[in-house]
Amino acid sequence: MAMIDRGLQYLLILLMGIMVVNVLWQVATRFLLGDPSSYTEEIARFLLIWIGMLGGCHAYRVGAHLGLDILSHHLQGAARWRLQWIISGAVIIFAVAVLIYGGGTLVLLTNELHQTSASLEISMAVIYSVIPLSGALLCCFGVDELLTGPNIHRHADTN
Amino acid sequence: MELSGAVLLVSFFVLLILNIPVAICIGLATLLAMLFSIDFTAAATTMTQRMAGGMNSFALLAIPFFILSGLLMGRGGIAHRLIEFAKALIGSLPGGLALVNVISCALFGSISGSAVAATSAIGGFMVPMMNKEGYDKNFNGAITVAASTTGLLIPPSNILIVYSLASGSVSIAALFIAGYVPGLLLTLSLMAIGAIYAHRKGYPTADRLPLKEALPKLLDAIPSLLLIVIVIGGIVGGVFTATEASAIAVLYSLLLAVGFYREVKLGELPGILLKATETSAVVLLLIGTSTAMSWMLSFENIPQTISQTLLTLSENPLLILLIINLILLVVGAFMDMTPAVLIFTPIFLPVVTELGISPLHFGMMMILNLCIGLCTPPVGSVLFVGCSIAKTSMTAIIRPLLPMYLAMIATLALVTYIPALSEWLPGQFGLN
Amino acid sequence: GPQGEAATVLRLAHGMPADHPVNKAMEVMGDRLRELSGATMQIEIYPNGQLGSERDLLELLQIGSLAMTKVSASPLESFVPAYKIFSIPYVFRDHQHFWRMLESPLGRELLLSSEPARLRGLGFYDAGSRSFYASKPIRSPEDLEGMKIRVQKSMTSVEMVKRLGGAATPIAWGELYTALQQGVVDGAENNIPSFYLSKHYEVSPYLSLDEHTYVPDVLLIGLPTWNSLTPQQQAWLQQAADDSITYQRQLWEQKTQQSLEALQANGIKVITPDKEPFRQRVLPMHQAYNNTPMGDLMDAIKTLP
Ligand code: NA
Ligand code: NA
Repeated sequence: MAMIDRGLQYLLILLMGIMVVNVLWQVATRFLLGDPSSYTEEIARFLLIWIGMLGGCHAYRVGAHLGLDILSHHLQGAARWRLQWIISGAVIIFAVAVLIYGGGTLVLLTNELHQTSASLEISMAVIYSVIPLSGALLCCFGVDELLTGPNIHRHADTN
Repeated sequence: MELSGAVLLVSFFVLLILNIPVAICIGLATLLAMLFSIDFTAAATTMTQRMAGGMNSFALLAIPFFILSGLLMGRGGIAHRLIEFAKALIGSLPGGLALVNVISCALFGSISGSAVAATSAIGGFMVPMMNKEGYDKNFNGAITVAASTTGLLIPPSNILIVYSLASGSVSIAALFIAGYVPGLLLTLSLMAIGAIYAHRKGYPTADRLPLKEALPKLLDAIPSLLLIVIVIGGIVGGVFTATEASAIAVLYSLLLAVGFYREVKLGELPGILLKATETSAVVLLLIGTSTAMSWMLSFENIPQTISQTLLTLSENPLLILLIINLILLVVGAFMDMTPAVLIFTPIFLPVVTELGISPLHFGMMMILNLCIGLCTPPVGSVLFVGCSIAKTSMTAIIRPLLPMYLAMIATLALVTYIPALSEWLPGQFGLN
Repeated sequence: GPQGEAATVLRLAHGMPADHPVNKAMEVMGDRLRELSGATMQIEIYPNGQLGSERDLLELLQIGSLAMTKVSASPLESFVPAYKIFSIPYVFRDHQHFWRMLESPLGRELLLSSEPARLRGLGFYDAGSRSFYASKPIRSPEDLEGMKIRVQKSMTSVEMVKRLGGAATPIAWGELYTALQQGVVDGAENNIPSFYLSKHYEVSPYLSLDEHTYVPDVLLIGLPTWNSLTPQQQAWLQQAADDSITYQRQLWEQKTQQSLEALQANGIKVITPDKEPFRQRVLPMHQAYNNTPMGDLMDAIKTLP
């Protein structure tokens, strides 16, 4: 598990770094070189999808997602633990039904139909593959949470 | 239609009460509601396609980049110097920092044309600074959220362009000029709320500094102030777009923080990048699932059906305007601004035109109304960013937001019932 | 309604506003279909891009959650490469030549060529010819030198602008107005009604009618939906689509004329440059396709009267 966490963090740092450099490059090629790059806009948008999906998994892991704590606020002990089962269960259902199944279908479909992106002309299946991938990660995190106890990593730095 | 709408609403609130992450509540509720007209495989696949589609937008880059530059400014000593500068200028006013926040959000929002960009850019460094000065973090998040929407009325503004195209008849130039008065009204009303709130809570005010002490603070802030000059100058001068400006802000704050002030070490950068990713991803995932929900609502014609039913309730022009405003407030609670403008402009414009209301006036009314929606739970992209950067929950931020909603609704009432607020200024430029 | 329960509802989404000729033609299609089918089939239209961008809508057709859409031929390139033919400049001599191709067996073949991608073309709507508009007059390719021109997301369009001497710049459609206003780009290209309806003329005072490409709009139905219809229903739908196309072509012509007059009334300088120097510059793009399927298609088009 620690290895998955670490790997995900490194990947996110890398993607964010690339995204900054990519957009700076876009401005530079247009304004300084007068020869605008045709790819940077598309790269930035695709990186955004990857960061949104994978970052969403990381954010779940560290408990950064927004929620409504009116009920959970008042629960203690066994009741809190039962609620955790429901929460993790809902997350796992979403991960499996939407991200893995729906996202997987989307990947298979775009792959089968040889659909490419407009500028880079890479397969859209590659771009969309992040959806089932993050579904798998979210599933892992949800199961891990149930096995090792809730909120282990949560609220590490809320101050 | 009615059934799927009810399922959406009920399942969403049940999931929400259980403290399931909001993004996932929205996703699961949308999936359930979709199943009424689309088979399971197509529904799940469409969900993910719309989620990816919602995030697949260049303009959204402003969120991660301004959050990142905000973190760099906070840790790199830039924000601190800007605050000292602002305090030296107006720190002796009640709620001085809150006022600085509102003005900065309005200024930044006006230039970037995007409210989420303003929240992430200004909130990213103002909220931590206000926290440090003893302001309540919920209030800080709330005022940033509300003030950021003013930039959608003050030109340039992407949403006014969307409205212009959806209405088909109003010139963008006229809308841009028309936005100044309502935008400034909103800014002033929020400043008033900020000052009253800060005064009541007894938030600290600094003593008026003698010039001898103020001057060094002003000088010290010059490299930090240059950031604002570069970002705003670059946008206005056509060097880069408002979205690209966010990456320029990252570059400049990086250079200042690491190279000039040396308050951030290179080794700290990965941690800062990860933190920015985490905060942005919370918002991006919400935008993704909200996009899917907006899609489902449009697909089922739910907003159209409800509004057409409600519009038949009265013939009185004043009441019709009230009904339209109420519908838009409810819509704004659940739907993002752009799809709401695209769906409701063609529905409401013929109705209000018959009442003698100009498309220009109606545009101001509708955008101002939906600005409130950006700050209301459960779905509001600006609210999401505000909660994320203020590190607070949606429940906690609502209390300080209440008086701000009131201020916004008061402004909305003025703009709705006094056409001159929208039409006088463009008239002066012959743009009516 | 009561008869709505039994009816087959085809949901049709597109990106144009409700008063656009395309949307009006779709309403006619809906009326015709209702008539032909004895009210057992109806079309529900979602204008203004409220269900997604053109690219998104194509994917929803493939998934099967949306029945029909209208997209520009340009985003179709990523799904069916043959549609690149419309992005290659100066393949068509003029408007008549362009329509002769669309109505020929070549056009019919093209509509059906997207079936492997789960998309069936029902017909072409007119979207006129595309020309440059900018902050400066463009009378010859030399005038384009060093100008930043926003193009559609298509590598063929990028190459065209480069060959003509300009710098092709990718800018999202929604950001284009401010980009033109603030000078991030110097110009863009589109058909006349879009130049007018997008209000870009407020910030780009020169329209140069070089008519480099003719990019049609394509009316499509997803194969999952098409296959769920009976042959009779398919025939009704095709008939309704054909009727709406005839209607749209008239509307489009009127709209183009009206837009041109409105543009001139708003002080836009309309330039009619000599097209030959533009054509010469992009001829290498034609030659690059020699001995490829695209080259054969181009040759076949050129031999049309
Ligand atoms: Na603005
Ligand atoms: Na809201």
